[in-house]
Amino acid sequence: MVDLDHKGWRIFAIPLVGFLLLFLGFPILIDLVYSLSRVSFTNLRSPEIVGFGNYGEVLGDAQFWRASWFSLRFGVITAVLECVLGLGLAVFLSPLIEKRSWLMAPLMLPLMVAPAMIGLMYRLVLHEFVGPVPYYLYLWFGDSPSFLNAENAFWTLVVVETLQWTPFALLLFYTAYRAIPNDVREASAIDGASARQILTAIELPLMRPTLVFTFFIRFIDGFRVFDNVYTLTGSGPGGSTTSLPIYIYEAFFKQGAIGKAIAASVILFLASFIGLYALTWLSRRGKGAAS
Amino acid sequence: MLKFTKITLSALALVITSLGAANAAVTVLGWPGGSEETALRAVAEAYNAQSGVADADKVELLFYSRDGFYDKLQADMAAGSSAFDINLLATYSIGRYASYMEPVDLGPDAAKVFGESVLKTMQFDGKQYGVPTDLSLHFMYYRKDLVDALIADPAAKAKYAEISEKYLGKALEPKAPDSWTWDDWAATALYFAKSVNPESPVRYGTVLQMKNLLFNIMVWQSVARAHGGDWMDASGNITIDSPAYRTALELYKKLYDAGASPKDSLSYEYAETNAAFGSGQVATALQWNAAASELTDPAKSPAVAENVGIVAPPAGAAGRADHIHGLGLGINKNARNKPGAAKFLQWLATEDAALLYARSGGSPALLPDVAAKIAKERPDLVTLGQYAGAYGYVMTGATSANAFPVYELQAKEFTGYWSGQETLDEALANTKAGMQKLLKP
Repeated sequence: MVDLDHKGWRIFAIPLVGFLLLFLGFPILIDLVYSLSRVSFTNLRSPEIVGFGNYGEVLGDAQFWRASWFSLRFGVITAVLECVLGLGLAVFLSPLIEKRSWLMAPLMLPLMVAPAMIGLMYRLVLHEFVGPVPYYLYLWFGDSPSFLNAENAFWTLVVVETLQWTPFALLLFYTAYRAIPNDVREASAIDGASARQILTAIELPLMRPTLVFTFFIRFIDGFRVFDNVYTLTGSGPGGSTTSLPIYIYEAFFKQGAIGKAIAASVILFLASFIGLYALTWLSRRGKGAAS
Repeated sequence: MLKFTKITLSALALVITSLGAANAAVTVLGWPGGSEETALRAVAEAYNAQSGVADADKVELLFYSRDGFYDKLQADMAAGSSAFDINLLATYSIGRYASYMEPVDLGPDAAKVFGESVLKTMQFDGKQYGVPTDLSLHFMYYRKDLVDALIADPAAKAKYAEISEKYLGKALEPKAPDSWTWDDWAATALYFAKSVNPESPVRYGTVLQMKNLLFNIMVWQSVARAHGGDWMDASGNITIDSPAYRTALELYKKLYDAGASPKDSLSYEYAETNAAFGSGQVATALQWNAAASELTDPAKSPAVAENVGIVAPPAGAAGRADHIHGLGLGINKNARNKPGAAKFLQWLATEDAALLYARSGGSPALLPDVAAKIAKERPDLVTLGQYAGAYGYVMTGATSANAFPVYELQAKEFTGYWSGQETLDEALANTKAGMQKLLKP
């Protein structure tokens, strides 16, 4: 690995910084201006700068914090569920898929459907009169819960998201699992390790980079969920399923509060940046401790 | 080299000529999909076929996708787009687009075709901004077989009185739907709910559209209006925290909590409501007029089609009320061919054009004597015109620039109350505060 000095780092960074300035510079600049302005669709070209009022409005809005909590909870829960299920399936199905690789295709099918379509599909699947789920629940138990009322909507959305994206985790975990050299497993077995010990002491540690990467990818996707939630519940009832992207979309298009919507996205960006920085710091610290 | 220059110049001339023609044509941005597109295509073809229409004024049609149509339209208009001369507008978004549009003079005959109240659905600040092409309002759909059996059975009448006494505080007698008050409807909905009356032949008495969606508030708000509710008074004060609104909101909650409507009604909108009513397990539904053709078609709704009755929404203390809004076409301020656009819209507002639009599948609200000319082919338009004329209303402020966010706000707060996340006082206070901000002059 090349160890760059300060000057060398600058030279290599110039193309990257140039690219970022060229493609992201203007949108970031205009976003910052709009976030400090009273702006609507009628004065887009001549926004009135009003200071940090939009930020104050966002931070003082209970719905913003409710949406943040929804996104955080949704992102963490779905990422954990998808990783656990994906890992379990990868390990469990690995011998089968190895022999019949075509099985991977139907398992990946949910990934082929657009999230908005998944939302629409589940609206029908869960409909009391035309949906198969309530139909069989009535048939077998004489009653069916309301899947999308205020109490159950969150968990219904979690299940829908998990069903759609677990195959993604399965794909990554299966690939990582198969990449572990067999001789490591064989050597462990000869040394007397049980299947559980091989999994927890050998395989999972070797798969850790993939596990971490997959968790964060799925967390980010869950955190910024929009399409299937919006089509399934319309962010309701009563705003109970409003995620942060839906909050921003509704402020921008539905309320015409462009400054407020952009201020919320800037806050979101800063929060993500801090989160990312903290993660990098933690991983470096972990690496340092390990070495 | 000379040959190459000639070819290049010829190609350039061709491009310039075709661009000139494109600039001169009248481009109409329509509402894609459904009967509106079919009807618009038919009238555009008929208009272009007329001998008096100059080539430069012929109409060309343009359609976005339906998803997020208004968001895209708003972004285009805010950017000053001249890609279309005529654009779609709706009653609830007219205030939002008016600053990007030109008022239009439809001529004196327009009032004889549509009537003043329907023309008003396309007006803002006293100016006409468009031709009302399609009108939407609500019908009360009910099961004739079930209601007839209820009225004819003395034992059922006694049960009905008992239920209405228990839930509504007054013993009511079943009536013909045409003379229902909202209480009569509620009593009927409760009577036919299995959770209230296990003897009911169907599972639910009604199907309420309660998803967090602005269009659902339009369906519901006629209950409030029939009790005298309005968004604001003549002085601009927000009047949402009124007994009329409280009565109407409480009525829906009472029915939902009692199990008169399906449990998942909080996620229902147009399609889910049709599916529920069409299943044959629901006795009544307040629904858009557009559903009439689907619910009364034996091929599409075999379980109920033969027994579907249609009446106007029930009456409240202030009489009957039926929310109306129109889709229409108006002129883009940045249009390249404004005179051509105005000519097409003036023609579209004539009786012949309106009848052609109706025959082609559109739903214009026509005055009774005009609608009578197509009563055989489109009987639903006769009813539509009657209800619009007799009961149609637009809330004060519902054509303002922020009408759209007001409906969104109401949808969020009212579904919050119906789903038990907020009290009625909280929902109304939040709505009032939000509306004061959105509708302040």
